[in-house]
Amino acid sequence: MLPGFLWTCFFLALPCLVLVLVSFCQRGAYGGVDFLFTGENYQRLLGFTLFGWTSDYLMILVRSLWTAFITTICCVLMAYPVAFFIASRPGRTKYLWLTLLIAPFWTNLVIRTYAWYLVLAPEMPPAQIAALFGLIEPGEALYPSTFAVYLGMVSTFLPFMALPLYASAEALNWSLVQAAQDLYSDRWRVFKTAILPQTLPGLTIGIILTFIPCMGMFVVPDMLGGAKYMLLGNLIQQQFGVSRDWPFGAAISFSLMVLTLAALFILRKRRVGNL
Amino acid sequence: MKKPGPVLVIVSLAILLFLYLPLAAVAYFSVNASRYGLVWSHFTFDWYVKMIHDEAILSAALNTFVLAVVSTAVSTVLGTALAIGMENFPWSKRLRAFLDSILQLPVVTPDIILAAALVVVFGLLRALMMKIFPHSPTSIFDPGLLTMIIGHITFQIAFVALVVRSRILAIGQNVEAAARDLYASNRYILRKITLPLLMPGIVAGAMLAFTLSLDDFMISFFTSGPKSVTLPLLIYASVHRGVTPEIHALSTVILVLTVVLVFAFERLMRLQEHRRKQ
Amino acid sequence: MNKMSEFVKGFACGGKMAKIIVFAALLLTGAGLLAGPELRLYIWSEYIDPQIVKDFEKQYHCKVIVDLYESNEEMVAKLIAGGISQYDIVVPSGYAVKSMIKQNLLLKFDKSKVPNLKNIDPKFDRLPSDPTGEYSIPYQWGTVGLMYRKDKVKDFQPSWQMILDGKEHGNFLLMDSTREMMGSILMAMGKNPNTTNKDDIIAAAKLLLQAKKNKDFKGFEGGVGGKNQILAGTAVIAVTYNGDAARGIADNPNAAFVNPKEGGLIWVDCMGITAKAPNPELAHQFINFILDAKVGAQLSNFNRYPTPNQAALPMINPKDLQNPAIYPDAQTKAKLQFLDDLGKDNRIYDEAWTMIKSR
Repeated sequence: MLPGFLWTCFFLALPCLVLVLVSFCQRGAYGGVDFLFTGENYQRLLGFTLFGWTSDYLMILVRSLWTAFITTICCVLMAYPVAFFIASRPGRTKYLWLTLLIAPFWTNLVIRTYAWYLVLAPEMPPAQIAALFGLIEPGEALYPSTFAVYLGMVSTFLPFMALPLYASAEALNWSLVQAAQDLYSDRWRVFKTAILPQTLPGLTIGIILTFIPCMGMFVVPDMLGGAKYMLLGNLIQQQFGVSRDWPFGAAISFSLMVLTLAALFILRKRRVGNL
Repeated sequence: MKKPGPVLVIVSLAILLFLYLPLAAVAYFSVNASRYGLVWSHFTFDWYVKMIHDEAILSAALNTFVLAVVSTAVSTVLGTALAIGMENFPWSKRLRAFLDSILQLPVVTPDIILAAALVVVFGLLRALMMKIFPHSPTSIFDPGLLTMIIGHITFQIAFVALVVRSRILAIGQNVEAAARDLYASNRYILRKITLPLLMPGIVAGAMLAFTLSLDDFMISFFTSGPKSVTLPLLIYASVHRGVTPEIHALSTVILVLTVVLVFAFERLMRLQEHRRKQ
Repeated sequence: MNKMSEFVKGFACGGKMAKIIVFAALLLTGAGLLAGPELRLYIWSEYIDPQIVKDFEKQYHCKVIVDLYESNEEMVAKLIAGGISQYDIVVPSGYAVKSMIKQNLLLKFDKSKVPNLKNIDPKFDRLPSDPTGEYSIPYQWGTVGLMYRKDKVKDFQPSWQMILDGKEHGNFLLMDSTREMMGSILMAMGKNPNTTNKDDIIAAAKLLLQAKKNKDFKGFEGGVGGKNQILAGTAVIAVTYNGDAARGIADNPNAAFVNPKEGGLIWVDCMGITAKAPNPELAHQFINFILDAKVGAQLSNFNRYPTPNQAALPMINPKDLQNPAIYPDAQTKAKLQFLDDLGKDNRIYDEAWTMIKSR
């Protein structure tokens, strides 16, 4: 097991440490890394830029958290029906439905995202219907827009949420649900007391698999949000690309990692089961 | 389980349809003869023919495949060894938990972080190599297929190790303990007992790693060089410059292949389970 | 005993792994060896006639691999990240040339191997970006201006205010290039596009942010991307380069191009050989090939940019020579300025740009 361990150390743990190191370095005059230590990258993240205090980067952070939050909620709302529907199918077709659910998840993210370009184009029904209702100008596409970004995000992460939820739904003890139905006439209470606790493990895993990657996503906001929708992932990609500011990019990445671990820690504390 | 109400059925079907909507759109336009714009012209397989003859697409396909095969092979071996080693070695609890968390990092953290870290590390390694070999024109750590392979292996090991480990835990120690009682050597145990028992897990891990590599965009994007463009990168670049219908055809092929693979995999798993039960 | 077996396992696995790696390495190097001489060209999109590339391949029995970029910053970022030994020729704009020389990214080329240098108009001989003339060879020059749809734009004025005044003239795009977009706005404000005055830069950034808030703002695009959107009709105004616009106008006469009256940027793109080029010999031959009078004319007639190649002028399409959008008249030229490299102060622009993109 030694080679595996060594590899993991060398190419996984070490790079992360190096990332932290570089995040405290200065950017060279033309974009290299100067090993002069400074905390200015983190200062900049908090808003203390060359131009005085701006809330830009904190805004991006908030926007990323918010997008992840909304996406997760949408996914939860959409995943529950699907999970229960599949769980209710008779034995043979169950696998068929499950595979139908998984298949888009295995397809390429880039393909799925640019496919939304086609669906949301001006000549296609969705954009034309929206124009009819006066939501957009006729002849315009439904992208780039916040709506398009959410569409892309939800369709990307829905299977991540639905699968673990399905696993929980599958193992559901229906006698408990029936007991709750006898006790309460309110459907919501039935759900809250009988279904939700039992599906909590699956739900938690689903939330982890959705919320966290969502914060680092850059393909979907880049392609569907145009220039107006910058998230943490886009910011990081920009620093390693056109802006040539590796130390700043490293600082953002490390902050994202800290946030991720914090989120994981919180979720772990409220969990049942084994990750 | 009781039958679901009609509302649930309709809602679920609608949601599933929503998932397939973009994929259907791609397939629809891959057989549309109009080159610009999205108005239906007439049915044609021209774009598929063009796609097969397009050199850039072919070389990207080759790169994608080579990358996936090599990285899957290495990461399966390393990941399996890692999983076996982790379970067998009498690590202290603390160390094991620590190792656990490191392994889980690639699975739960956004992969852009790993990609960024790799860019930085490769940059530093390049600078280091330059100091050691000042006259060499190229460096082994130049962005290209090798750096991509290294990047892929890194996150694949974690997934493979996790899958194999869950299988190890499922099997339990009994068979191995029994074999040891009968004075079997470690090598023998490994070869004839552990590995065969673990095989479904190893295969599952390998298939997971393979698919992850095929699909990967983030790590490839940050570590690729001019000659090592993969299919996802090619599609991304062409979206920024204006998508051609050949790309629709390419995407449809990839989609269909993926769906077929997933169905085949599902079949395979079920067949294996049937056999095991008998 | 356990440890021993672990090591043996490690070696056995290592053996398998070694075999795979060797196989992969052979595959990759074999592929590399099998290919004949190669030239790697890293160039702006739609900037070179594919026929010229093919002609070069035929004449010199080699393969040319073309990679594309949309902005100088993108190209430099790629070179810094290791691309310097993977490309032979790059085509940076003047201000980028200066910074690349300082970063040792370009090779001093051998003038004896490029006899066609004599074809270049002497005005381009000692550019401020490369005073010794040893690192770069002029390729094309041009301007940054506004491309628009005559049939769709509302109340058009040949001014940068079309994208800055906050009124709705039609969907517009800004150029996705740090110095060029900000430089144009600085000139619209009547300031020096190479200023390092933080207040001026912030003011320019604020104007751009204001423009972003306009309902008609549809995103950032490179020159080619902007041209394509104008042709497709999804944008009515776009900040593009004059040559891209000229090509677009040829495709759709409803499109037009103007150098705004407040002034704008003029640039010279140059060919440079990277410091660690895999095939510098072929690179020299390629540069010489481009500088040939006939090829130079073919190039400019394709990408519709003004040429620095004096010997090629007689063979340029006469309509292009008289087109003020392509070859600006003396009056317009007086209001155009070059961008300069700012050394450490480049950083201010990069940070401002990040700010502009993030809100």
